[in-house]
Amino acid sequence: MIKLLKIEFKKIRTYRIFWILIGLYFVFLAAGLMMAEFMVNNMVDNMNKHSPIPFPHVAIYFFPWVWQNISFFATIRYVLIFPAIVIIILITNEYSFKTIRQNMINGMSKAEFLLSKLLLILVISVILTFLLGLVTFIIGISHTSGITLQLILQKSSFIVGFFITILCFQVLALFFAFMLRNTGLSIALFTLYVFIVEPIVFYFLKSPIVHKNGISPYLPVNSILRVTEYPAIPVLKQVMGLTLQDSVSMSICLYPLIYAILFIATVYIVLLTRDL
Amino acid sequence: MHSFCICNNPVLPASKIYCFSPFILHKLETVLSIRNISKRYGKIQAVDDLNLEVMKGQVFGLLGPNGSGKTTTLSVILELIRPGSGDFQWFGQPPSKASRKRIGSVIESPNFFPYLSPVNNLKIVADIKDLGYDDIGRVLNLTGLYERRNSRFRTFSFGMKQRLAVASALLGNPDILILDEPTNGLDPQGIAHIRELILLIAQQGITIIIASHLLDEIQKVCTHVAVLSKGKKLFDGEVSEVLAISDSYELSAENPAALSESIKAFPGYRSATVAGEKILVYFNSEVNPGELNRFLFAQGVILTHLAERKRSLEQHFLELLRDNA
Repeated sequence: MIKLLKIEFKKIRTYRIFWILIGLYFVFLAAGLMMAEFMVNNMVDNMNKHSPIPFPHVAIYFFPWVWQNISFFATIRYVLIFPAIVIIILITNEYSFKTIRQNMINGMSKAEFLLSKLLLILVISVILTFLLGLVTFIIGISHTSGITLQLILQKSSFIVGFFITILCFQVLALFFAFMLRNTGLSIALFTLYVFIVEPIVFYFLKSPIVHKNGISPYLPVNSILRVTEYPAIPVLKQVMGLTLQDSVSMSICLYPLIYAILFIATVYIVLLTRDL
Repeated sequence: MHSFCICNNPVLPASKIYCFSPFILHKLETVLSIRNISKRYGKIQAVDDLNLEVMKGQVFGLLGPNGSGKTTTLSVILELIRPGSGDFQWFGQPPSKASRKRIGSVIESPNFFPYLSPVNNLKIVADIKDLGYDDIGRVLNLTGLYERRNSRFRTFSFGMKQRLAVASALLGNPDILILDEPTNGLDPQGIAHIRELILLIAQQGITIIIASHLLDEIQKVCTHVAVLSKGKKLFDGEVSEVLAISDSYELSAENPAALSESIKAFPGYRSATVAGEKILVYFNSEVNPGELNRFLFAQGVILTHLAERKRSLEQHFLELLRDNA
């Protein structure tokens, strides 16, 4: 395991695109997080123009809600796509450089190869979760008065939700990369699926004609994003009648994890049966 | 492995498969055995019921024209592709990642990370093979890349890339070296360098399997050879036997009928064809024209014409392929 991680680290250590994309992820995330409150309040102002009863401005950066809010904004599709593309590039590179062949020739097994990429995903997810946790903690501390430990810990399950989300989203990217093997094609089809195909299918399946309750929430991307569903903003509840998530439940994490296991198993079987 | 094996010296005939180690005299072991391997791509039978045995210390050549199944065979024994049928063993064991770690190989193009330096690329190879990094300097020196050890692989010329592939294959002194067209695309200087390297490695007792479409190359470096055509093995054996250059002589005599009869008794006779008044006689071994003349004279045949006809190696190879098509 350690050996496989050492190998992976050598592969990315001086790979500029990797660091640029991970850097971009943080820039987008930081910008998004800083803008989030402003954007929400802008929305409130707009609504107030047409509403006889004025809605109050919202604050989203205080404990315990900051966990939920930041986890939500850090897992919207536009932000998540960056680490996913990193994974796609790192895997499809092995095919275009034919280094996967060379790794096998040198004595790596297909299982080890897959495991090394999964370990990489795990490490990236742990590091990103840690960093996000740190950022959230700092933002929370500076926006909350009268902090108690209980207040801080109350909604911290959302950071676990963030971890599950980013992990499973990268596993989905890994699935596309191993199946298609070509960098451009994988990125194009993955992006197309995440932003266009699944939302269309989602909408279609949600329609009461097909199924009253709809199986839409159980589609791969949606089941991943559903782990941290809405930010804890009271105005959403009042205007749109949404039920806000209390915490990240075990059952809601189960679906993306089942998908992840299915994707990994499929990739493994395909790797074993396909010539290199 | 570090015993001194005279059979590895490509200059000596390798038929005496005995190895003189400091303590024991033992018979050489089988390194690779291929049994009835076939591989089909759609309509094309890439490898057709192939059987091969490679012994320790041999420099084994796979000789055949393009598309004869050499690379497919090497890909199968390196477990890159799965054979349609048949199986193979390394060191008498079913293939595994452990056996692959004892093999160094150069297959088709050099496969490395373009953005990494040779040293970092070789470190990855060393990690996979469970080796330390101490050997990296040696193999880079051996292949003349030490000066460029910290440049990115992307900046290398084709010849340098190929040499890095050889360096990577040599890392950690493998028991077997597999080379697929190792001199393909290299300039004459590069070709000479790689061939010298192969001979040097062979002298260290490392078994080498080398695929090539160049007869000249096989003859210069190999002890044993298998000739492939359309995925089938035509024959295999020692290079000196299989690729023996049979001389041919153009003869004519006062009595052509007597000549045709008498010549058949000459040692090493293979075949004869009549070309007008002359006959063209092929021999399996080198023939001294004086002896030939003396022999025929003793049989009562007086030659009126005797001329030696040398064929090029390539001509010979083509004949071998044609005869066995």
